[in-house]
Amino acid sequence: MNASTAPWLIVALREVETKLRDKAFIISTIVTLLFIVGSVAITGVLGNRTSHFTVAATDDTSYQVLEQVIKDRPDDVELSISRLTPENAKQQLSAEQLSAILSASDDAREFTLTGFNEVDQELSSLVREAMKSVMTDQLLAEAGLESSSLPDNDDLVTDQLHGDSERAAMASVMGLVFSFLFYMAAFLFGMPIANSVIEEKQNRVVEILASTIRLRQLLAGKIIGNVILAMLQLLAFLSIGLLAAYISPIQIPFLGIVTQVAGWFVVFFFGGFLLLAGIWAALGSLATRTEDLQQSSGPVVGLLMAVLFIGLYAKGSFLVVASYIPIVSSAAMPIRLLSGEVAIWEPVLSLAILLAACWLVLLFAERIYRRAVMHTGGALTLRKALKLEV
Amino acid sequence: MLELHHVSRSFAQNPVLNDISFTVPGGALTGFVGANGAGKTTTMRIIMGLLSADSGSVTLNGQPLTGATRPNFGYMPEERGLYPKQPVIDQLVYLGQLHGLTRSGARKRAMELLARFGLDDRAKSKLESLSLGNQQRVQVTAALLHEPDVLILDEPFSGLDPIAVDAMSSILRDYAARGVPVLFSSHQLDLLDVLVDHLVIIQDGRILADSSADELRATQASRHRLSLGSDTGWLRSEPGVTVIDISGHEALVNFDSESDAQRVLATAMSRGPVAEFAVHRPSLADIYREIIK
Repeated sequence: MNASTAPWLIVALREVETKLRDKAFIISTIVTLLFIVGSVAITGVLGNRTSHFTVAATDDTSYQVLEQVIKDRPDDVELSISRLTPENAKQQLSAEQLSAILSASDDAREFTLTGFNEVDQELSSLVREAMKSVMTDQLLAEAGLESSSLPDNDDLVTDQLHGDSERAAMASVMGLVFSFLFYMAAFLFGMPIANSVIEEKQNRVVEILASTIRLRQLLAGKIIGNVILAMLQLLAFLSIGLLAAYISPIQIPFLGIVTQVAGWFVVFFFGGFLLLAGIWAALGSLATRTEDLQQSSGPVVGLLMAVLFIGLYAKGSFLVVASYIPIVSSAAMPIRLLSGEVAIWEPVLSLAILLAACWLVLLFAERIYRRAVMHTGGALTLRKALKLEV
Repeated sequence: MLELHHVSRSFAQNPVLNDISFTVPGGALTGFVGANGAGKTTTMRIIMGLLSADSGSVTLNGQPLTGATRPNFGYMPEERGLYPKQPVIDQLVYLGQLHGLTRSGARKRAMELLARFGLDDRAKSKLESLSLGNQQRVQVTAALLHEPDVLILDEPFSGLDPIAVDAMSSILRDYAARGVPVLFSSHQLDLLDVLVDHLVIIQDGRILADSSADELRATQASRHRLSLGSDTGWLRSEPGVTVIDISGHEALVNFDSESDAQRVLATAMSRGPVAEFAVHRPSLADIYREIIK
């Protein structure tokens, strides 16, 4: 670093450095990272728990039924089948080497599924379905008909106007994740901006700083420093989470869409956070003591709660409107992008609105900051601050 | 040389500074005195660009100071302020960097100054863990870090113990000796007497005096203190003598001329023993009290 380093950069680096030396911050980040990896892993395991059954048939018809089960079974069921004599089968079941035995009555019209001390529900329903279809095929064959000529369940295909339910479920989970990440960062990195402004105002360091560098540079440095921190932490969370999802041995659905929307989220997060940073700085400069902030931060907290609730509940046209309102859009637009098709101009327009609002708020915040931060005496209202002479 | 030209400033129609002008010469220590509320801090904040003047200007070597920042000024505000929860050295390095020093340069310089105040072993302590006097020394260090071209110090001596007062005095003298204009306010008048070369006195937003300490003392140099063997009441009727104070055998008088002084001395000796006949050197404290009356 040389003598010509821009003042805002020195201020920004100090913000970053101070935070990185803060043990509580480092620990909470690591804990969150572990939590993310853990929840990706648990989701994978829970969502893809496979059942394994070993079933023996004691006659040919039963074996045929079991073969049909293998054909029809869903992905998360594994089935090993064998053909054994009734005595052998009984022996192996007693030794719990088998999950169940399937045997047919002499006329091959009724079947018995015998378990050791219980029969798994999933297995019995799979066998029941298979048994029906095998027996139907047999009856049809006797009548000289092909089973494929019969009307079938597959003849009805279901479709939904708004995506499919699995995607909707994914969108609501990821929407909550995005809202929460934004909410957390807004407090974790936004509040310190306000507090450090108050600290400098309260201790009058700001007089020394203001006589050395321009207040605009000081404010810019503070905001940029915290934006860098917030973005770095967000990128760490997202990339570790996505990486865990990609390398997880179990296939996690919609990973492609989530990754794509995560990219949008980063951009919206940036805009939303920058805007909030301006508001936090202005609020900090209006306060005289840290206690004042608790009162004046009400509107910001309200706004952030809105972000969180949108992540939880927003649907339909309400969500569409929300996706264009700055700050709220930081969560709402990614949620829309997750849950279905959105034309490309929509996030672009919303982003443009966000950045424009950002610019206005930062200009306004700078005006307030410059006036209020040098003021000694009681806490200020917005109106009083704007009337102050520089 | 730092100069204020006809500076006025009001707060909400209350005039705080009323057309003030004075000079802070380079190479000298300038004391800035006045009662609480006289306008010292407002003046200093205007010099530092932290407040704007309603009218008038501040010039350094004839060049008007514009804009808000004075990066080559060293400033110690009235209300002390640094970062309480940060280690001493860290914040000094930060402030040094903002003044354009390199990180290592700032560290080296800060350690030198801390050593001068006997604080080098506390460099890594948090500021709030230091005694108030020591925090004050750190505050001064912050003002001196970048080898300022001008020093503006609001009450630099308040709260310092005698050892620290000496250290501070010698540092200020060093800076003045380099030709740096140094302006500091103080309520410790006896300290001013031994320290300052130039004195500015402000009262109710007006400058009452702006001259060198020697000049100020010279205005009262014709005062003599007399201590005689008998009552001094006869001095009242002597021509060319203005009595300031008489009490029994002692008197404080002003002579109109040196010859009056010599004549009175001769008269006194003819009247009896003369224990003391001396030029009375007024302290700046006396002069200050005299002026603000």
